[in-house]
Amino acid sequence: MKELDLLKKDWKKREKNLPKLSYEDIYKMILKKSSSSVRWIFYISLLELGLGLLIILFYHPNIGKQIQLPGFIDFFSYISIPVLLYFAYRFFQNYRNISTTSSVKDLLESIMKARRTVRLYIILNLVLGGLASIITFIYVYVDQQGGWNIFVQKAQIKDYLIIFVVAVIATLIVLAALLGIYLLLYGFLMRRLKLNYKELKKMEV
Amino acid sequence: MTQDLEHKFVSELEANQNIVHKICKIYTDCPDAHKDLFQEITIQLWKAYPKFRGDAKFSTWMYRIALNTAITLYRKSKRHVPTNKLDPVIYKVKAVDYDDTEEQQLALMYEAIKQLNDIEKALVFLYLEDKNYYEISETMGITEINARVKMNRIKKKLKNILNP
Repeated sequence: MKELDLLKKDWKKREKNLPKLSYEDIYKMILKKSSSSVRWIFYISLLELGLGLLIILFYHPNIGKQIQLPGFIDFFSYISIPVLLYFAYRFFQNYRNISTTSSVKDLLESIMKARRTVRLYIILNLVLGGLASIITFIYVYVDQQGGWNIFVQKAQIKDYLIIFVVAVIATLIVLAALLGIYLLLYGFLMRRLKLNYKELKKMEV
Repeated sequence: MTQDLEHKFVSELEANQNIVHKICKIYTDCPDAHKDLFQEITIQLWKAYPKFRGDAKFSTWMYRIALNTAITLYRKSKRHVPTNKLDPVIYKVKAVDYDDTEEQQLALMYEAIKQLNDIEKALVFLYLEDKNYYEISETMGITEINARVKMNRIKKKLKNILNP
């Protein structure tokens, strides 16, 4: 294509029209903070891991004593601490592997890998959190009715069904809202990245 | 020690700043955005500099980080008003009107490049910088064959934009 070769020549000629920054200009720049997408992804991931910690604290048996939660919720909260640590470790490992000196494709892959780790963690948390809140909801409701013994005596199948359905729906609404916010945030940050990755992938077929 | 490193880095970047400016020219379309991207590339270069061993040329090392920043790390700021994408129909009219002026042809080419996506821009940039297909494929992380195929497609695409 002769136009592109023409352009190549012109490209070199145009170099003298490029802006010229002084030593001081550049020096000032290295003192500034980055506003890159990876930096944002890092902060948001930290926030997500922190959110996990909050959930653990919330369901921790020693906190929020006004509601006595069933024993297996305690179990959940104990097991979630090593889970959080594992995911945090994996995330930091992955994050360290993000290097601007890799090829474009490797860089995109490493960023997505780091994101996937945190996403898996959040999904796991939402599912477990959802289950725990359904159980808590039912538990608290029954407790207010005077405890299991009284509830079981009075309740009919209809009552069981109603409280179960209400618990599930309430939880689903909360989960959907959380997920919506999450995906929005996620999509906003990752859109361009995914687009470019897809473009590179497309070349391989 | 740090001051030494700072001085060495800033001097080398100052001497090679053209590379970064050219990338900014391709990926942004107003002086503010140009400055923003230059700033971000400088930060990324500086962050990676302690690991720069000097076994590669400074400029070669710059290409990767600068392109990676433009493609992946740089977030287009909302405050920049994007310039209107030019309608291909307008191109057609213009192309007919000034077909033989080299200057016009070039201006159209530059505008056409602006319409390419991030990855295509990177390939064109490396091509214009006289990089061979091996270097292009290494920088992008694709095979040499795929780089060639893609480059041919881009040439066709540019041709279509210029002479629909």
